[in-house]
Amino acid sequence: MLGYFVRRGLLIIPTFIGITLLVFSITRVVPGGPIERMMTQAQLGGEAGSLHRSEGGGTLSDEQLEELKRYYGFDKPLLSSYASWLKQVLRFDLGLSTRYQDPVWDIIKERFPVSVFYGVTTLVLTYLVCIPLGLLKGMYHGSRFDNLSSAVVFLGYALPSYVIGIALISVFAGYYDWFPLGGFVSDNFEELSPLAKAKDVFHHAALPLIAYLAGSFAVTTLMMKNALMDNLSADYMRTAAAKGLSLGKSVRRHALRNSLIPVATSFGNNISLLIGGSFLIETIFNIDGIGLLGYEAIIERDYPIVMGILVISSLLYLIGNILSDICVAIVDPRIRFGGGSR
Amino acid sequence: MTLLRNPVAQKRWQRFKQSRRGYISAWLLLVLTTLSFGAELLANHRPLLVSYQGELYFPTFGAQHSGKDFGLDIDYEPNYRELQKQFRDAGEGNWVLMPPIPFGPLENDLIAGDFPPHAPSLTTRHYLGTDTSGRDVLARLIYGFRTAMLFSLVLLVFNYAIGVAIGCMMGYWGGAFDLFFQRIIEIWSNVPFLYVIMIVASIITPGFWTLLFIMAFFGWTAMTWYMRTATYKEVSRDYVMAARALGASGSRIVFRHILPNSVSTLITFVPFSVASGITALTALDYLGFGLPAPTPSWGELLKQGTENMESLWLVGSVVVAMTLILMLVAYVGEAIRDAYDPRKFSFYE
Repeated sequence: MLGYFVRRGLLIIPTFIGITLLVFSITRVVPGGPIERMMTQAQLGGEAGSLHRSEGGGTLSDEQLEELKRYYGFDKPLLSSYASWLKQVLRFDLGLSTRYQDPVWDIIKERFPVSVFYGVTTLVLTYLVCIPLGLLKGMYHGSRFDNLSSAVVFLGYALPSYVIGIALISVFAGYYDWFPLGGFVSDNFEELSPLAKAKDVFHHAALPLIAYLAGSFAVTTLMMKNALMDNLSADYMRTAAAKGLSLGKSVRRHALRNSLIPVATSFGNNISLLIGGSFLIETIFNIDGIGLLGYEAIIERDYPIVMGILVISSLLYLIGNILSDICVAIVDPRIRFGGGSR
Repeated sequence: MTLLRNPVAQKRWQRFKQSRRGYISAWLLLVLTTLSFGAELLANHRPLLVSYQGELYFPTFGAQHSGKDFGLDIDYEPNYRELQKQFRDAGEGNWVLMPPIPFGPLENDLIAGDFPPHAPSLTTRHYLGTDTSGRDVLARLIYGFRTAMLFSLVLLVFNYAIGVAIGCMMGYWGGAFDLFFQRIIEIWSNVPFLYVIMIVASIITPGFWTLLFIMAFFGWTAMTWYMRTATYKEVSRDYVMAARALGASGSRIVFRHILPNSVSTLITFVPFSVASGITALTALDYLGFGLPAPTPSWGELLKQGTENMESLWLVGSVVVAMTLILMLVAYVGEAIRDAYDPRKFSFYE
């Protein structure tokens, strides 16, 4: 079993190289990179007669262009520049942002707390609410409680979370003014007392949290309910019923653990949400997390940051997949990954 | 059509019809989609019918009529809404029949003395108001729905075609081909989907087909994986061995035996693919990486809505429309699932 997970861990490497190479080539092959952007800027600057006037009448000279290309590593062929980029990444050096000239790692690190806050809160709330709710819905399938909650769950299931986010912010922040229009904290956050600080954070977080929750909430609840219902019709539950266990007892002692397997499988995927966040929701609510950073970097063609975020999010995703397997192995003792018994 | 006549498929169809909610939703969705494909007859600045001096004109399709055709002193296309009023005032028996929504999706209707977006009103006949450039929201909703639906349906065909083809080959041939594509799929399915599409779309401003190819390029893996497993399962069955023993060729086994047995289950995924196609396109449009500017789209309306929150009708109409469509799709999906996998039961009843 340990061997299996070691093998899985090692398989991360080729997959990781594949993903980054794919995106790296996309940013490299197609036009419109940082150099083109600088050239247009220089041209615009020249025409407008602004500060860039000194740069040789608007356009860049050939030497300057060469220098820039060397600076960004565009002078080398694709594979060798990818290799040198990868070598840098292995030394935990993600390069400099072309926009801010700061190390990419520092910029990303700055945004971590915000994204982690939303990720962890969402994750905890999701599991705290969904597992009991899904269990109850499965146990009392067809009851009024089940039907009423189904209406809400189904809405969250059908609608993507960003649409819910947009609806929430338009009604409760734009129209009624009950909640702030986005951001993570108020401008005067530093001056507030600790209690007021917490209140401020949650006042800002209420709407985005609902939007985040709406997405994972419905899926997890339905998954929990369906898994339980699968198990309710299993033979061992008939035995439990036959020997006289009450519904609650037989679910708690027999069906619960088996029904948790699919939920455990999805745990790993939620890990990437934990830090990566959803750039859609972060863009809507203007939350300064990693998602918004990635979105802005794409617009500004700040490829070191784009690649940096890709590195982190794909690593998290790959590790998350393995974590899922570990969770499944914990919940379900029958599962022996890679065992010879099959 | 043997696929539809076999008893299993008929039983599934019966079960699908029995779930009223899903069945009605399927019909509603079909009607709405069909209507949207005739959007030119629903929302258009050109009239359905013009009767001028005893002659009938159908300006909806075909070449533009110039104002001269209708006794006006202009060479360009007349404003038919004003023409309607003029004809009515003149009372010479000429008339203009406008569609229910007398505005095209790209037409700016600026109302004097008011800045767009204009609020919904019955008198201006902008039933859901206008957007920030004075274009009718309802007209754009209808045309946007058509674009989104068409987009996700074509995307679905692409994804499923690639998925079935490659998945079947992986499952049937196995070996090195299978291994190679397994690695490819692993890489592809770990790529942060929307993020990479955003990167690509930010670089080459895509049109309808380009965007479709980009999305299909990153979206084919799920179906491929499913078809691979299904084919593997079928290949090991006895009937395939029997067919092989009878001397059937590889292509015959795949097309006559394996595909009919594995493809039907793909239907259970269709509603979810349609929903995710619509959602993804709207998200891309919202972020500004979707279809180019004047194309009517839900995402673009959402964007305008979030930038003009005091005009609640912008966000409101899109959210309501999306809720309606996606709920219908989800109900259909639920009903199909139930038809394929009859309701679970409990011993505690």
